[in-house]
Amino acid sequence: MKVKIWGARGSVPAPGPTMNRYGGNTSCVQVTFRDESQLILDAGTGIRALGLELAGAPRVAILLTHLHLDHIQGLMFFHPCFRPECEITIWGPSSPEASLEDRIARYISAPLSPVEVRELPCSVAFNDAPASEWRIGDVTVRAEAVTHRGPTLGYRITDGETTLAYIPDHEPALGSSLDDLADEWISGYDLARDVDLLIHDCQYTDAEYPAHVGWGHSALGDALKFADRVGAKRALLFHHDPLHTDEKLDAMAAEAAERWRAMGRDPETIALAREGDEIEVNAPGPAVHRAREGRSTFGTTAAPQVSTRG
Amino acid sequence: MEGAQRPLELILARNFLTSVTTPAVLVDGEGTLLFYNEAAAALLGRSFEEAGQMRADEWIRAFAPVDEEGEPLELDGINLAGALKSDRPAHSEIRIRTASDGYRALEAAALPIVAAQGKASGAIIMFWTRTDNGET
Ligand SMILES: [Zn+2]
Ligand SMILES: [Zn+2]
Repeated sequence: MKVKIWGARGSVPAPGPTMNRYGGNTSCVQVTFRDESQLILDAGTGIRALGLELAGAPRVAILLTHLHLDHIQGLMFFHPCFRPECEITIWGPSSPEASLEDRIARYISAPLSPVEVRELPCSVAFNDAPASEWRIGDVTVRAEAVTHRGPTLGYRITDGETTLAYIPDHEPALGSSLDDLADEWISGYDLARDVDLLIHDCQYTDAEYPAHVGWGHSALGDALKFADRVGAKRALLFHHDPLHTDEKLDAMAAEAAERWRAMGRDPETIALAREGDEIEVNAPGPAVHRAREGRSTFGTTAAPQVSTRG
Repeated sequence: MEGAQRPLELILARNFLTSVTTPAVLVDGEGTLLFYNEAAAALLGRSFEEAGQMRADEWIRAFAPVDEEGEPLELDGINLAGALKSDRPAHSEIRIRTASDGYRALEAAALPIVAAQGKASGAIIMFWTRTDNGET
């Protein structure tokens, strides 16, 4: 299983010279399986560039965690949507209020959009994520509601022996300290238990969190505790606050490694996600390379010297 | 994979109960007592950490609810069970045994918690001490 990060920013795109290394695009992750089939996790602005790379793909499957704009904004600029021969399947959270298609159509419709969903040239199917595990090709997918603002899913994806959990918007410590909760009372616990790679919300520093309790996101300390409690083999911290510059995120990465070590974990197994990161999920140790900088994703704590991202 | 974790709506309900000072308990769809808050602990005279989760028959025995005539109540006899069985709210006047002062007259309101599958996964029961005819 391979994972590529196309957008790791939370809330709103945050481009700019101080954001180049971690990237300004919002949530989008491409997962490639043993049989070369793929799933796309969320359709934030990162999906635009991914769409250009998928120019010839006959079929595309997208799992949406929820419909906040930072997770769907790229849909309207996703090239496969404009190819008549492309079949796109989109899964997302159900709602008693309206179908997934109708809820997405509130964004892909006038006056917010020049096109309507029904005018998209591709053939697109919208599905509520099933309440129990389901299969997409050879891959098993499980969706569960998690603590955020509004109906929000996390995903657990299994291909053979390899398992990934994707919980980009998550506040498991809302209302109580994770230290005080038994496993069964922790949101997202089952989704993330013993995964090879956990991609998890880390929007705030611990100092920033008290002013944002209930906003649906995690502080660094809670993200680390959650990753440790569920026994994730590696964790990639994600959904960076739009105010956090490269410099700030480097400092958070260094702090994360230090605290992870203090928790008895190998600091090579924690990292802050950067746009462009490619991760071989079941490779042992820090076998992941940040192609742009020729260094490992996991265990990178020092500030890289240059930015080569275009 | 075996599920260890409670559904999100129960997790959030427990969270909510820890934040209010109205005595309240959280039960699952089978009537098992999953949690009660500090205000309920003050009423019952025993902290939840001490008591732990209890099956319906266990907490019925521990708190010994009785009806207006002093007759012991089974779960089905407590109007509140209806909140679980029919996904409807319920209101009840009961007396329970407390650690400190024998029996106490209470009003109880049960609200079923219904989530995605349209079936109650549990209920919140809140208690108010009755003031009209005093404690026994
Ligand atoms: Zn988000
Ligand atoms: Zn969100």
